[in-house]
Amino acid sequence: MKQVKYQWNTLCLYDYRAVEEHLAAMAAKGWRLERAGSTLWKYRRTDPVNLRYAVTYNAGASPFNPGLTEGQESLAELCAAAGWEKVCDWFQMQIFSTEDPHAVPLETDEALRLQNIHRSMKKNFLPSNLVLLLISLWMSSSLVYSLVSGNLFRLFSSNAHLFSGSMFLLVTLLEIYTLFHYYRWRKRSRRSIEDGGTCVPINTRAYRRRNTGGLALAGALTAIYLTLEVLSGWTKMVLFYTLYLALLLLIMFLVRRTTAALRKWKASKGVNMAVTLAVDVALAFALMGGLVYATLHFDWFFDYGGAEETYEYRGRKWDASPREDLPLTLAELTGERYDHVSRRAADLGSFFLPRRSYSESALFHDGPKACHLSYDIYEPRFRRLYDATVEHFLEENTSSGPIPEVITSYLPEDPAPWGAEAAYRRQFNGTPLNTWLLCYPDRIVMVSPEDSPTEDQKALIAVHLGAET
Amino acid sequence: MAREKFQTLTEPMFYILLSLREECCGADIMAQVSALTHGRVVLGPGTLYSLLDSFQQAGMIRETGVSGRKRSYLITDKGRETLGAGYRRLLALTEDYKACVGEEDPR
Repeated sequence: MKQVKYQWNTLCLYDYRAVEEHLAAMAAKGWRLERAGSTLWKYRRTDPVNLRYAVTYNAGASPFNPGLTEGQESLAELCAAAGWEKVCDWFQMQIFSTEDPHAVPLETDEALRLQNIHRSMKKNFLPSNLVLLLISLWMSSSLVYSLVSGNLFRLFSSNAHLFSGSMFLLVTLLEIYTLFHYYRWRKRSRRSIEDGGTCVPINTRAYRRRNTGGLALAGALTAIYLTLEVLSGWTKMVLFYTLYLALLLLIMFLVRRTTAALRKWKASKGVNMAVTLAVDVALAFALMGGLVYATLHFDWFFDYGGAEETYEYRGRKWDASPREDLPLTLAELTGERYDHVSRRAADLGSFFLPRRSYSESALFHDGPKACHLSYDIYEPRFRRLYDATVEHFLEENTSSGPIPEVITSYLPEDPAPWGAEAAYRRQFNGTPLNTWLLCYPDRIVMVSPEDSPTEDQKALIAVHLGAET
Repeated sequence: MAREKFQTLTEPMFYILLSLREECCGADIMAQVSALTHGRVVLGPGTLYSLLDSFQQAGMIRETGVSGRKRSYLITDKGRETLGAGYRRLLALTEDYKACVGEEDPR
């Protein structure tokens, strides 16, 4: 029979009644609280006992303190004199228990209790939730902007953007609710105390339901996101995401261990906070940065569609066996034969806006000049997204920076030779480029050949890229 | 802030200051208040701790000694002034009551 058990705590820090009732109920079942971690609470098996629990708050308490503060010790001494034994702390909450059914309650002045709770909430609960709210607001702003401005291309062009935006939007809403819940409770309690009552009870069930509901929604969003990635051809994204989550949990674990170790070594509060923060930043940089670097550098999780075997010639890498699944090759477009070829094909879009990207470089005979062909095929899942995608490309794009002004734009041209409904040529500061945006009934093609194509080549592009192949 | 806070003493505040005319520790204060009021005013340790902390910050009491985790306190001149003002306020209330109702018990 196990002697120790850990339980995930979903109680609210200022819901002192729920904590007291919960702990008394656990003791009656034979489980006494031994340690209250920020999320996991440790219980030890004992004989079932009728134990009273009571909590009070001490704003000076902190998990970064090297031990109990003088204030905490004084409080424990006073409580001991009144028959209450200290159990443990949970952030600023000080938990006591007694077997004496007639022991004086810890708090006998409701106004002071409320003041004390607010002082304690200002130390930890309110700043941390406020910071999380600001971060999640910032991180979800791009999605919110896309939603408000109706920019469907921005919204649906990336599964990851849609997922992370939705996730942060969920966190934003939960944080707003958390802060609103606290201030509403405080306002109501203050009014109740002014009328001679007590702090108002909190609907613990609703609070817990909100927490578990939020988690379930986050889980559902993750499942949907990973399914969309798999459907979009990014199967390795599941592995990447799992590794990402595992590293995140590892960082959280190591950061907490650091705080606990420094506390054990009696480091001062300031030193503990500074070192913990430094360790947190260093771990995030090393592990998360390392994961992203490895992903980009070694192509661990993303298939950019290059050949497995390559050889080097004239300072470049060429495919030993070039892939044959490109809808249109340079050889087909130009009618030439190339001795050295490098081809890539990759899925870069999202579930709602699939985008297949192809590129080819080839060396004609012995070179020296290589020629190129690249094209992207977008197949929006619904008409409004099709229109939004075309609009997105046609929007004149001005950027400022070291170069005074760069304007890229698209000028319409006759779509008939392309067999398209509409055709546009890309301009760079008014100079035409060899890039065309072609609109076919169910797909949008962005093609960039080496040279301006002939009429026959345009027709060939229409046949190979304009229709399902 | 502190002056405004203690302008009107609540019952627990009044009795804590009254107990601290002589040096005593928290446990003694709880016992004295209970004895003085015949159990009418109950002072929880959490409440007592908060009030002692606030009084100390306001300079109305001072710590006189620490023995282990036990701390002793004594009222200061400022605390006596506040206690006196509280007493005079209660007297004024009583006088006003007598002027309106006489000596009779409202029950």
